[in-house]
Amino acid sequence: MSNITPTTEKSMLTITDLHASVEEKNILKGLNLDVKPGEVHAIMGPNGAGKSTTGYVLSGRDGYTVEKGSAVLDGVEILEMEAEERARAGLFLAFQYPVEIPGVSNLEFLKASVDAQREARGEVAYTSAEFLKLAKEACKQVDLPLAFLKRGVNEGFSGGEKKRNELMQMILLKPKLCILDETDSGLDIDAMQVVANGVNSQRSPDRSFIIVTHYQRLLDYIKPDFVHVLSDGKIVKSGDASLAKELEAEGYAWIHNEPKDELEGDLL
Amino acid sequence: MSVWLENAIARANSTSDWLSPIRSVSLAALKDTPWPTRKTEAWRYTSLKSLERATLSPSPSVNQDTPEQIDGFESFNLVFRNGEFDLDSLTQPLPAGLMISYLPTASEEMKQASLDEFSQIKPGRHLFGLINDVLAQHVVRIEVAEGVSISQAIRITSLIGLNSESHTRVFVKLNKGASLTVSEHYQGNVESLNTGFVEYDICAEAKLEHYRFALQTDKAISLGGCHFKLGERADLNSTLVGFGSDLSRVDTDIIYDGEFATAKLNAFYLLDGKELFDLHATVEHAVPNCTTLENVRGIVADRAKAVFNGRIHIHRHAQKTLAELNNRNLLLSDKAEINTKPELEIYADDVRCAHGATVAEIDKHALYYLESRGISRSKAQVMLNFGFINELIDQMPNQVLAEWIRPQIRNRFAEMEVTR
Repeated sequence: MSNITPTTEKSMLTITDLHASVEEKNILKGLNLDVKPGEVHAIMGPNGAGKSTTGYVLSGRDGYTVEKGSAVLDGVEILEMEAEERARAGLFLAFQYPVEIPGVSNLEFLKASVDAQREARGEVAYTSAEFLKLAKEACKQVDLPLAFLKRGVNEGFSGGEKKRNELMQMILLKPKLCILDETDSGLDIDAMQVVANGVNSQRSPDRSFIIVTHYQRLLDYIKPDFVHVLSDGKIVKSGDASLAKELEAEGYAWIHNEPKDELEGDLL
Repeated sequence: MSVWLENAIARANSTSDWLSPIRSVSLAALKDTPWPTRKTEAWRYTSLKSLERATLSPSPSVNQDTPEQIDGFESFNLVFRNGEFDLDSLTQPLPAGLMISYLPTASEEMKQASLDEFSQIKPGRHLFGLINDVLAQHVVRIEVAEGVSISQAIRITSLIGLNSESHTRVFVKLNKGASLTVSEHYQGNVESLNTGFVEYDICAEAKLEHYRFALQTDKAISLGGCHFKLGERADLNSTLVGFGSDLSRVDTDIIYDGEFATAKLNAFYLLDGKELFDLHATVEHAVPNCTTLENVRGIVADRAKAVFNGRIHIHRHAQKTLAELNNRNLLLSDKAEINTKPELEIYADDVRCAHGATVAEIDKHALYYLESRGISRSKAQVMLNFGFINELIDQMPNQVLAEWIRPQIRNRFAEMEVTR
């Protein structure tokens, strides 16, 4: 159970007693989490604890069944919504393994995403020229060559380039809540620093982050306000940034739970 | 035998010109070839009924159409109207090393030399190839001299009018180390018949970039082919785009004649309504060390029908062959049909080959990725379906042609309904 003192202050995300399963296997077993606007929460834990599942369940991926509980994003219950509605409600999941989609250009994908969200808010779509300008700026911001806008979505991108492309989407979509799923995986220190700088540049009082990570090292670059340890589908310990250091020193062995089957990552 | 074919043979019999020696050989072969029925393997899924029923006239109607402008495409334009070659095509100044000849008015020596080349690459088993042999009169020959690279493309356009027949024939020779881009364009939607055959002799170290836009629709019947022979270290990059009509078929052959040659063939078709498109592609690995990459994709909607037969034949001595053949199809309705038959016939033991044919499903992972960004499921499906074909447009080496065909494919795709 989270030890963050509940306050009456407005929450960005409130997860209450969330139980979820995939292929009839219970993964989340009573997750509670409260994230205030502007806060950065890190969720750490051993493999199989349910870290990636948390991101998938919140973002509405097919095949993940909510058995019980609720998740309220900025005052709106999202668990009954389709994935695209959750995105339009302001949720953004940066994928651990961004999908390659040859034949769909990155620019077309970015514009369709932004258009869909603007339309949902009753705003007019950008013209192609207006959007191209924004996309170019975002591209520069994440240090990707402009040619990446023309290429197929993530097609042939390196691990670091894919993560920067996720960041570019985040910049353009301006979500309320960003979930970063193992954003550091497969990145060397330099690439991680670039991504971390990008994330830090997006921190603001009305945007919250949940950083899902196995290792502490990303948290050297993105300073969390709170660190939670997820084990066997629920949060077993919460603390401030120093908890991550503690975990690094001691590992997860003190959680006397056996790691469950690896069910995160690619469910194909 | 069909009435149309009987008339065609009678017509061929009464024609006497420099092509007569070839014509008589092909006529003899034609007389021995039974008119295809459902039981004829090469025509099992493609009925010739629309040809049998069509009202066609051998004397061409007047046709003043002009080829569609392709902005930014630098090309020498060769135009056939109802099968007749537009002699104005020959007035454009050509760079050194490029020769374009209209054979009926060429010198006797050239005619004689051409007879030795004629129908040497196109295999004799193609019924409409034989028909083209006996009916083609306006034959054009293109040659690029040894070591010469022609930067401007050659665009061959075949225009056809109501009830017309067009039997165009082109022979292209790239001498050693030459390079050239050829783009074949077939269009039309009125009741008509077009047999357009092109033979390509790509000599050692020569490089051909090739496009065939088989864009006939509705009642325009098209039964043509393109046939390539590759010498040592020759390189072919071919893109074939097909729309469907009542009857539309392309036969293509790639024949390796020298080692270390490579061919990349990308083909895609989009079919709607009751359209049919049939692609028969044969690759003959007759020598060792050659590489074939063949990627064929289709989107078939409504009650349309696609036929694909891809045969890769690796001869006994063709060791170290690398051959990949892939046919993927998206069916947008329950009544849409794909008849696909990839055939690998391997007689050598040291080769790397892969082949597959699938009715593709939308990648669920990709769908979720798009949805997770706020894109609706229906819009995401459209993007992914179009992306399936667009990927091959992206691979077209000529950017101008890619940007010319992309909106046409997009429009055609936009009109298709997803009902499954």
